[in-house]
Amino acid sequence: MTDATATRASRGFALGASAPWVFAIVLVFVLPFLFTDRSAMTILNQIAITIVFALSYNMLLGQGGMLSFGHAVYMGLGGFFVMHMMNRIENLEWFIPLPLLPLFGGLFGLAFAALFGSFSVRRAGTAFAMISLGIGELVAASSIIIVAFFGGEEGISGDRTMGPNIFGVEWFTPGEVYWVIAGWMLLSAFLMYLFSRTPAGRMANAVRDNPERAQFLGYNEARVRYISFCAAGFFAGVAGGLFAINYEILGEENLNLVTSGTILLVAFLGGAGFFFGPIVGAIVFTLLQTVLSLHTNLWQLYAGVLFVATVMFFPFGIAGLLAMHIAPWKLGRFGGLIVPYLKTLIPGVVGILGLAAFIEILHHAKHAPIGEESMTLFWTEFSHYDALPWVIASALAVGGFWLASRFAGEMKQAYEAASTLEGGK
Amino acid sequence: MSVALELKDLRKSFGKTEIIRGVDLAITKGERHAVIGPNGAGKSTLFNLITGRYPVSAGAVHMHGEDVTGMAPYQINRKGLSRSFQITNIFPRMTVFENIRCALLWPRGYRYSFWQLLHRETDLNEAADRILDQLNLTSRRDLPAGVLSYAEQRALEIGITIGGGADVILLDEPTAGMSNTETDYIVNLIREVTVGKTLIMVEHDMGVVFDLADKISVLVYGEIIASGAPEDVRGDPKVQEAYLGAALEAEH
Repeated sequence: MTDATATRASRGFALGASAPWVFAIVLVFVLPFLFTDRSAMTILNQIAITIVFALSYNMLLGQGGMLSFGHAVYMGLGGFFVMHMMNRIENLEWFIPLPLLPLFGGLFGLAFAALFGSFSVRRAGTAFAMISLGIGELVAASSIIIVAFFGGEEGISGDRTMGPNIFGVEWFTPGEVYWVIAGWMLLSAFLMYLFSRTPAGRMANAVRDNPERAQFLGYNEARVRYISFCAAGFFAGVAGGLFAINYEILGEENLNLVTSGTILLVAFLGGAGFFFGPIVGAIVFTLLQTVLSLHTNLWQLYAGVLFVATVMFFPFGIAGLLAMHIAPWKLGRFGGLIVPYLKTLIPGVVGILGLAAFIEILHHAKHAPIGEESMTLFWTEFSHYDALPWVIASALAVGGFWLASRFAGEMKQAYEAASTLEGGK
Repeated sequence: MSVALELKDLRKSFGKTEIIRGVDLAITKGERHAVIGPNGAGKSTLFNLITGRYPVSAGAVHMHGEDVTGMAPYQINRKGLSRSFQITNIFPRMTVFENIRCALLWPRGYRYSFWQLLHRETDLNEAADRILDQLNLTSRRDLPAGVLSYAEQRALEIGITIGGGADVILLDEPTAGMSNTETDYIVNLIREVTVGKTLIMVEHDMGVVFDLADKISVLVYGEIIASGAPEDVRGDPKVQEAYLGAALEAEH
């Protein structure tokens, strides 16, 4: 048994756990060569920063059972601190290379998490959520008042290119900063993953599941939460430092309630119950925010609908949806799912696109400047006074959803048959 | 013989109602002690006072001669006292293996460490696997604890309770809601895992009580009306009147 246990443990880590990391590292190296233009690099940077922030948030929500409405505080504070350091580096010629700055952001975030956490983690649940909300509002309000540190309503800005030049890189372009951000993203994600496998990380899960039982195993639940809270504050601060480096400007909006709420949404959308869930959430959300927003003013509506649909139909998020298919895959029944899925999902997608087209035409008809009738949708130009586009959009929406709902039962049956040992009978 | 656990005039009131009305009890090391009594006698409350779940209104709890009254549950646990619950109290979203491993962490000195990786701690993992083996739960090792059957969850609960190697163990109705076969399984398990330890249990099943206990205390309306060897307690007319007679009749 001894050997079996040992090999199971080591093999489990070597193969099962390291494959995704190898994949992530390869992806980080390959992506900049696939997407070379400046705007794509900007999006990649934004995704990487959001991943660090979302993973740190999930140390609270998913791993520790703490619903925070104020996590942006630690990201924002870390960011402001790094911005001030960047300005000192420029003015006083401090010799601190740019790639090290996020570490200081992390330490600043950690310091404030240690302070605010000391009184907010005593209880989880509503009490914790309310205190986090209060601290979030307090710090956001202070940021307008304490102009010396936060720069008031304008915020503060800096210049990342003025530091010591040790790698022969000037950090002018998003493509150059990408390596700093992606490197910190990989390092932070890996450290947060390792944290989840330490005694403190596992007891955070235990306290999340059943705080009382954890007490009767010798653990002080508040202390367990406090450690997670401080660690989450550190990585949020790292994310803030990366944000400061990437955007070179920070303001009140970086630590207010909207940012805190957004990261909750990101973690939930991806799946708070899984370590990699927030990563998926960060990628999907950032793409919605950047790519979709180029095409429509209504992207927030779609993001909101997606969030509501996730909460209603897939409470375990996108990662949960993926994990649901591990069983059919292992049972070798994945193939049987393809046809039922296509039969439901193709009409479903058509229905969604039809509905979106209808909403877009309606929006254009109501809000376009007077006299501007023509609009372009799905590479087609037309006037919103024509009847045909309205008819087509409505028909696609109604027809698509009707077909999808007809086949939904069949899809569900197929899934159940494929995911249970007895074959669903 | 030294005393493992001693209650001195222990009292507990909820508002004006006194639930525990002066309990004096000394339990020697290595003893298997059952606390019985009718519903609402305060048995679970007594456990909650001993383990620090509720604050004590008056009196004292001593463990191995040390006053532990007013300590937090985790502090009392660190002194070597562990308990199970009447309602299954496990970590439902964690695997069965991790439930057990969590119980081993503090006693093995891992404390709040965030610099050790648990999958590398071979001794710890082997110890957890040995306990799973003892519980007959090895085949369930990697399942979330919440999906186990009721009897399996009860067994896991006992495993979590004894896993850390505490020397004073409190079990609150370990066989509640179980079938006969399941009860036999749990009783054997308890007997096996509590060798050399002090066991205090609340139990309704008289078969289990007389099977396991060296000593029995009868708690009625917050007071201990009799305490002693099973035969003596069984023959005590006060006990017959208050509780046991009715219960024994019901058994047959």
